[in-house]
Amino acid sequence: MTNAIVVKQLYKTYEHKPWLGTKTQKEVLQGIDLTLPRGKVLGLVGESGCGKSTLCKVILGIEPATSGTVLINGQNTSGLSVRQWRVMRRQMQVVFQDPYASLDPRFSVRKLLSEPLDIHGLYAHKQDREEYLRELLRAVQLDAAFLDRYPHEFSGGQRQRIAIARALALNPQILIADEPVSALDVSVQAQILNLLKEIQRQRNLSILFVTHDFAVARFLCDDIAVMQNGQIVEYTTAETLFEHPQAAYTKKLLAAVPSVEGR
Amino acid sequence: MSEPILQVQDLRLGFATDSGSVPVLHGLSYTLEKGKVLAVVGESGSGKTVHALSLLKLLPPNARIEGGKIIYQGKNLLTMKESSLRHIRGKKIAMIFQDPGSSLNPVLTIGEQLCETLHAHQKISKTASRKRAVELLTQVGITDAEKRLNDYPFQFSGGMCQRVMIAMALALSPDILIADEPTTALDVTIQAQILTLIKNLQKQNGMSVIFITHNLAVAAQIADEVLVLYAGQCMEQAPAAQLFSRPLHPYTQGLLGSLASVRQKTDKLSVIAGNPPRPGDKTEGCPFAARCPKAFEKCYKACPPLYEQAGRSTRCYLQEGK
Repeated sequence: MTNAIVVKQLYKTYEHKPWLGTKTQKEVLQGIDLTLPRGKVLGLVGESGCGKSTLCKVILGIEPATSGTVLINGQNTSGLSVRQWRVMRRQMQVVFQDPYASLDPRFSVRKLLSEPLDIHGLYAHKQDREEYLRELLRAVQLDAAFLDRYPHEFSGGQRQRIAIARALALNPQILIADEPVSALDVSVQAQILNLLKEIQRQRNLSILFVTHDFAVARFLCDDIAVMQNGQIVEYTTAETLFEHPQAAYTKKLLAAVPSVEGR
Repeated sequence: MSEPILQVQDLRLGFATDSGSVPVLHGLSYTLEKGKVLAVVGESGSGKTVHALSLLKLLPPNARIEGGKIIYQGKNLLTMKESSLRHIRGKKIAMIFQDPGSSLNPVLTIGEQLCETLHAHQKISKTASRKRAVELLTQVGITDAEKRLNDYPFQFSGGMCQRVMIAMALALSPDILIADEPTTALDVTIQAQILTLIKNLQKQNGMSVIFITHNLAVAAQIADEVLVLYAGQCMEQAPAAQLFSRPLHPYTQGLLGSLASVRQKTDKLSVIAGNPPRPGDKTEGCPFAARCPKAFEKCYKACPPLYEQAGRSTRCYLQEGK
């Protein structure tokens, strides 16, 4: 059995060349090793600026790595052509943090969900397409009548459901979720978290779940990697991490999490 | 015996839009007691920020105050002249905002901005104000304050900027501090530091704090008293310990139930169905009825009043006659 994602000794350095003065380098990822097994949820937890989102971008191929390898379903992604990446992306989709920014306001839900299918030439027949779009909306527990509405007509939670439906359109095996609930209202977060868990189980999805919220990570993740300044400081199963945190940084983070219990 | 320092009575507020007035607050009332922290908890669109802005009349131009009183030291702030309000705003009642990065002026040094506040309200020499600025920065835990006065906001991190905002708010030892989501933009470790800082300064100075947040856990950490706001109305108000251990309103119960826990693994989170109403949505009865698992016929007909019992109040028919 191959793993969904394997990251080996990944480095990413951004160069800053000011107009005047000398150029500086910022090492955002410093030797990341991670494995996302098939059908599991790997949580990536860390504070802002630790490199979580950069790591996602490199895995998704939005940013090139400086060195190191990323294997998606066993295939090395370095040096892939645009065409090869397109094939790769059928297996790997993404849900972003802010559903107000990630859905084009000029697109109807039908068009939003159809775009990935058009790109890959799937469900070309009108009837099949219609059937499939309705099925997608059902999968994220939205009414099929929403197909002809526009993003502004929806609340944050509903928008995130649409974004998830779009990510599922190509029936990927891997989902990268970059803080998918942190922009949502408290009473809506739980709905989306339950939905993600359900979909993950139904489709046996492998999810790389980026969050800064330990409670959310505990609910959803099998394994958790804690990141600090571009390095992984602790990487273990969720149970071990919460019951017996080892790294000083993890302990510090856990201690800082406010809680309604035991005040 | 605690004494009230600020009283909000039946505050009604709406926004004028092209399609008529959109009500945001429907008669909000509460009392802030001296030396206490009151947390106002609500989701987006519940009116929590608008309420905070109305306390200092910092409302956007299309906001209309449609009724009610805000009483501070026996005077109604809402009918006060702008010139007299200036003596209260910043000096007696100060405010810190959500995003520290955008509330500081990027082209002035931290020192200039801190001293500006002092000069606006006091006759004070430049050397004295600078000295006071150093004191304030030290008080909020900024090391090497003397030097950092000459730095610009971009040279500070988010948490540091929020400390500067707090220092500014505390510059004139206000009676009341309004903190509008002061830790939302910050990381958890920094959030914990800022919460401790606010709590300590509040105790030291005997300040009263109105702490606005959407995060129940943060409210649990800092508040003495909690007010739960939903669709512009108070759903439940109670001492923090009671509210978190025994919530009475189905909305509060739902919110607390839907939180994922760090302490234990949950298989499925309980959920409040539906979405929070947007301002302007018209409801006949209780605004929460459509999402409430315990709603019955009466709830859809008329909005329940606040039922008071043992120091707490709850807007729910289930509390009737208890």
